[in-house]
Amino acid sequence: MYSSFFVAWYQLSHNKVKLAVASAGVVVAVMLMLVQLGIRQGALDNSVAVARRVTADLVVVSPRTKTIFASAQFPRRLLYRLGSSEDVEEIGEMYMGQGRFRNPWNKLEFPVSMYGINPHSPMMNLPGIERFGKQLELTDRVLFDGLSRTNYGPVVEQLKEHGTLDVEVNLRKVRLIDSIEVGISINADGNLFMSPANFLRMFPDRKSGSVDLGLIRLRKGVNPEVVRDQLRHYVGQEAKLMTRDQLVDSEILFIRENAPLDFIFGMGAAVGFFIGFVVVYQILYTEVTNHMPQYATLKAMGFNDFYLLRMVVSQAMILSLLGYFPGFLMALGLYRVATNAIQMQFSMTAARAVAVFVLTLVMCGLSAMIAIRKVRTADPADVF
Amino acid sequence: MTDTLPASPVISSRHVNFWFGEGDLKKQVLFDITMDVAAGEIVLLTGPSGSGKTTLLTLIGALRKVRDGELEVLSRHLHSATMDDFVQVRREIGFIFQQHNLLPFMTARQNVELMFQLHPEVSRSEASRLTAELLTSVGLGDRLDYHPARLSGGQKQRVAVARALVTGPSLILADEPTAALDSHSGRDVVTLLQELARNRSCPILMVTHDPRILDIADRIINMEDGRIHAVE
Repeated sequence: MYSSFFVAWYQLSHNKVKLAVASAGVVVAVMLMLVQLGIRQGALDNSVAVARRVTADLVVVSPRTKTIFASAQFPRRLLYRLGSSEDVEEIGEMYMGQGRFRNPWNKLEFPVSMYGINPHSPMMNLPGIERFGKQLELTDRVLFDGLSRTNYGPVVEQLKEHGTLDVEVNLRKVRLIDSIEVGISINADGNLFMSPANFLRMFPDRKSGSVDLGLIRLRKGVNPEVVRDQLRHYVGQEAKLMTRDQLVDSEILFIRENAPLDFIFGMGAAVGFFIGFVVVYQILYTEVTNHMPQYATLKAMGFNDFYLLRMVVSQAMILSLLGYFPGFLMALGLYRVATNAIQMQFSMTAARAVAVFVLTLVMCGLSAMIAIRKVRTADPADVF
Repeated sequence: MTDTLPASPVISSRHVNFWFGEGDLKKQVLFDITMDVAAGEIVLLTGPSGSGKTTLLTLIGALRKVRDGELEVLSRHLHSATMDDFVQVRREIGFIFQQHNLLPFMTARQNVELMFQLHPEVSRSEASRLTAELLTSVGLGDRLDYHPARLSGGQKQRVAVARALVTGPSLILADEPTAALDSHSGRDVVTLLQELARNRSCPILMVTHDPRILDIADRIINMEDGRIHAVE
C-alpha cells in the first residue's frame, strides 16, 4: 500500500533534478561537518601528541608550566630527591626548546622543536631512538623526525642516500645521523632529538640544572596516583607531580582554552549544518507550496494533518539518507587529502560518524518542521 | 419535500445559516437552509454564482463548520462536531472537485489506491484489485500506470471519479465536475458517475451550472442569494 513514506518517495523522486540538487545540499553539509570536526579532532590530537608519547608513570613539571610547549624550568636536584622512594624505579630528565634549523638548500631558518633526552631510556614513545643511543652520545649528533614538514628540505632523502647530513641549528654546526618517524603538530613543524648534553650545546644560555620535564618510572604494580600523592612533599612548592593522564588532560585543556579550535571548526561545522538546513528547507517548502491544492484535496478526502506531516518528514529523512552516505565517503577522501597535504593524521571515528548522522537527521528534521507549518495552512475548503 | 422520501435521510439540514467574518465584516452567505437528501438520490444544486451553493457543499462535506442551525450528515451532527468527527465524516464521503487535483507524482493506479490508506481494514491485494477493476470500468484499463500529466482532462477527471468511489463512500459530493471538460467528456463523466452511484445506491449531491446534465437528477434544488429558491 502507499504509506506516507512511499508517497514521500514518489514525490521526491518524480523530479530527478530536484532530488539531485536537494541531495547535493545534504552531501555538502555532511561533508563540511565531518571535515571540520575531523580537522578539529586532528589538531587537538596532534597538539597533545608529545604528551601522549610519554610512557613514564609520573611527570614532574614546574608549577609555572601551563603547557609543555612553553614550559618553565625547575631545578633538576628536586628529581634526585625522588630516588629515595622505593616505589621509584627510574628517573629521567627532558629538556625542550624551540630551535632554529637552517635549511641547507635555501639557507633559510625555520623553527624546530628540540628534545634533549636520554636516548638509552627516553621514557617516551620515540620508536627506534634506542638504536642510536651510542651515536647520540657523541658531540653534536642529532636525530631528525622523518615526518617533519618539507620546510627543512629533502633531509630524509639525503640521509637515506649519504647516511648523514651536516646542518646548522641555533648557529651551531651539527650532524644529523638518521631519522625516526614521530609526527608533528600545530605547535611544531619538525622535531629534533638529541642527548641532554648536545641540547645544552645548542642552547648555551640554558643550564643543566634547570630541566623542563622530569620523567619517573614506578615499580610495577603500584598505583601512580597514590605514589604521586606520597611524593608530593619531596618536591614541595618548587615542582608539580602529575600522572601521565593528568598531563594529557592538561594539554588538551590548554589547547582548547588557548587555540580557538572549538570556535573555528565548530563554526565551520555550523555553517555546514546551516547550508544543509537551508537547502532542504527550500526544497521541502517549494514542494509543499507547489502541491497545496493536492494537499488540501487530501485533507478534504479525510487525510489528517498527521499523515501530511509524515509525508514531509519522510521526505526530509530520505534526503538525510541520500545525502549522508556520499557525504561520508567524500569526507573520508578529504581526510586522506588533508593528511597528505599537511602531514597531520586525520581519521574517521565511529563516534563522529554517528554524531554527524544524528546532526544530519536533526538538520533535515528541523527543515521539515518549518516547512510543515505551511502544510497546516492547507484549507480543504479552498479546494472548491 | 421530505414527505415523499423514506426516513433517515443521508443529509438533513435544518435552518442552517452561515456567514464569513465577524462584526462589521460579517457577510452572511446562507440563510435558513432546510433540505434533505435521501439514500440513493441524485440531487443537483444549481443557481447563479455567488448563490452559496458551493459553500453549502463545503458545510455538508465537513470542510467548514455551520454557524447556526442543525446539519446532520451520515448520522453525525456536524453543527456540534469536533475536528476528529469532521475527519471521520470526510472519510465516508467521495469528493469530486472542479479540478481533479490528482497527485502529479503518482500514477493513476497509485492515486486511486492511496485512498485505502484511510481504510486499513482493506487488505493490500483487495485494494489493488478494487482499484484496477474500477479504473477499468471507467475506461482507463490501459492507462493504469500513466502519470496524470500523460492523461487528457476527461481521463484525469475519470481517475478522480474512481478515486472518489473506490472505497465505497456513503455519499458523493461533486462540485462542477464537468466545468473543466468539453461537453462530450463532461457528459461521459457524469453518466459514469450516475451509473456507478446507481449500482451502489450511493446518493450524489452535485453543484453544477451545466444545463446539459440536468437530466440525470432526481431532484434539482435551485439557490439564489443564499436561499433555497425552488425545488424541481
